[in-house]
Amino acid sequence: MGKGKPFLEVLSSAVHEDYRFPFLEVFAFLYAIGTFVFASFGVTITTQGGTNEVIATANEVIAYGLVSSILSLPLSIFIILVFKNIAYGLGSDLEKGIIQTYFSYPLRRRGILTAKLLSALGVALLLFLGIQISGLYILAPDIVLPQLGTVLLTYAASLSYPLLIAGIMLLMTLKLRRGGISLVFGLVLYFAMSIISGIATIFAIVTETPLYLQIISAISPSIVLQQYYGGLLGDFWAPAFSEVLLYTGVSYVIVAFVFFLGYTYFSRRLNL
Amino acid sequence: MKRWTTVLGRVGTVLIAISLALLLVSLIPQINLATSAGEMPVAPEQVYTTSYRVLTPQQGLGIKVTVEGTINVYFLELGVEESYPGVGMLFANVTELEEFLDANPDLVIWEYNLEDGYAERYYIPTKVMNITLVFHNPSSADAILDYEVTLTSTVAPGEKVRNIAYWTTPIGIILAIPWFLNSWKQRKQS
Repeated sequence: MGKGKPFLEVLSSAVHEDYRFPFLEVFAFLYAIGTFVFASFGVTITTQGGTNEVIATANEVIAYGLVSSILSLPLSIFIILVFKNIAYGLGSDLEKGIIQTYFSYPLRRRGILTAKLLSALGVALLLFLGIQISGLYILAPDIVLPQLGTVLLTYAASLSYPLLIAGIMLLMTLKLRRGGISLVFGLVLYFAMSIISGIATIFAIVTETPLYLQIISAISPSIVLQQYYGGLLGDFWAPAFSEVLLYTGVSYVIVAFVFFLGYTYFSRRLNL
Repeated sequence: MKRWTTVLGRVGTVLIAISLALLLVSLIPQINLATSAGEMPVAPEQVYTTSYRVLTPQQGLGIKVTVEGTINVYFLELGVEESYPGVGMLFANVTELEEFLDANPDLVIWEYNLEDGYAERYYIPTKVMNITLVFHNPSSADAILDYEVTLTSTVAPGEKVRNIAYWTTPIGIILAIPWFLNSWKQRKQS
């Protein structure tokens, strides 16, 4: 038996557990509805040299505003699905000893974790992005296609922080071998970010220094992106496009590192 | 084989769920934001231009025109980024209009050459754009123009969304049927 078949076995088992009928269908329905209901083109279009020093062109700002508007509630729904999959999916497998059964398969440990993460994260991400980007294309093809780079960058920047928390939750679930606490911790961490970024914004505005926002942008690049396209926080920080790419890149390096730690722990140090 | 039936079946049920969402979205009624109507004479060789209006893909513009005489109606797209010389004062004469139309044929969304007739159209843009409506009397006689322009707000382009739902629903059902039958048989056996 090759390695492909046991991998598919673990993957199909994980998908079956993570997306019992009609979970997947309910989430697909909510994403589809949310894409149209929350879509908004009501952005203030200011051109270069305006009071807010917006560097992006008007169409880019429209594309950014549109994607940001449809991300509002559907992103929270996506996060709940991913957190549930990682915390409960992997946590219950560890608790019930199902992972031990997988260890008897002719498959490396990292292959098992990859199959579990493909199910927990990959399928959810595919469903979320597939429905949202298709919905955007139906709604405004002449905005989405010419500004596909902006659309994808907005998604990348917005998903970075949830993926980081997913990585932290993975580590916690592996360490504690149960999902309940890591799920609560993950949710708290996710909502804490909005409070922390609010406080950092106040500090940044009062002191007129972007340092606080720059630090947060390294783990949540949606802030630098918001400043680049909207310039809503003031004139003291006008990031260039290269800066946006840099912060997004750094945030994904951090995400990759956290997942690398998870893989290392699962492969070498997890004793069941 | 069974695994493929399950995968395709779940893809089918997801398609059905998305179709239901699209159908629901298409059923959300439009809101009438503004209506302007009027009747006016258009002198020979005169060009009459409406003011700019920014439209988004969640807004539709309906127009009904009744003409006594001869009038050309142009529905022009002027994007938010572009600016055209002379358009600020919008076609002071026929020559300006014709020059603009020759230079920018891609900006003409549609045009009607009406002679004692009636035309009706509803338009939803696919991007944020400025819309300008131009009436031109090319004849040497006076014409009477009776028009009604309606601006509506919509969640999504209803017809487009409904058509997609009509296509995806049967595909979803076809994909899901074998999986449903399989699950039903298994439940019956156990």
